Amino acid sequence: MSRKQLALLLLFVSPLAPQSQAEIKHVEMRVEGMT
Amino acid sequence: MKQHLGRQSGVQNVEVSLRDGKVDITPKEDGRIDPAQLLRATYDSGVSVAELDMTVRGKIVKDAAGNLILQSEPNQSFTIASNELSKTLEPLANSATYVTLHGQLYKKANGKKKPDATVPLKLVVLEIGNKE
Repeated sequence: MSRKQLALLLLFVSPLAPQSQAEIKHVEMRVEGMT
Repeated sequence: MKQHLGRQSGVQNVEVSLRDGKVDITPKEDGRIDPAQLLRATYDSGVSVAELDMTVRGKIVKDAAGNLILQSEPNQSFTIASNELSKTLEPLANSATYVTLHGQLYKKANGKKKPDATVPLKLVVLEIGNKE
């Protein structure tokens, strides 16, 4: 497989890979002194 | 306060309930939000934070001192406070498993008005969600 073919394969396959990034989904605060 | 928080990096949406004193913050899809920065921004807007809870997804790793850490990318991690629930996460340490945790990152200490920036925030696990 040539480099070009490999690059194209990675380009098309990468969006299908599961998201590996960890992330904050939601933040909830309880606050005091709000008017 | 709503506008001030809405301008913080990574914040998609802010919902404020005046009746309950509750503030719901929805991060942008990339999840690049800094809870410590949200705490500071809230105090800067003249409001005192009693508690900060969050739901976060990441990998469990163990540092050299044996502390469990929820490693979130990019370059964000939260030290997990030791409790009964956190002990059940031990087998996942340094594995490829992603876990979603709901926990408390900050609770106001009695008599203190402002969070101490020199004390690192620790995530107290309240609920363990999906493991993938």
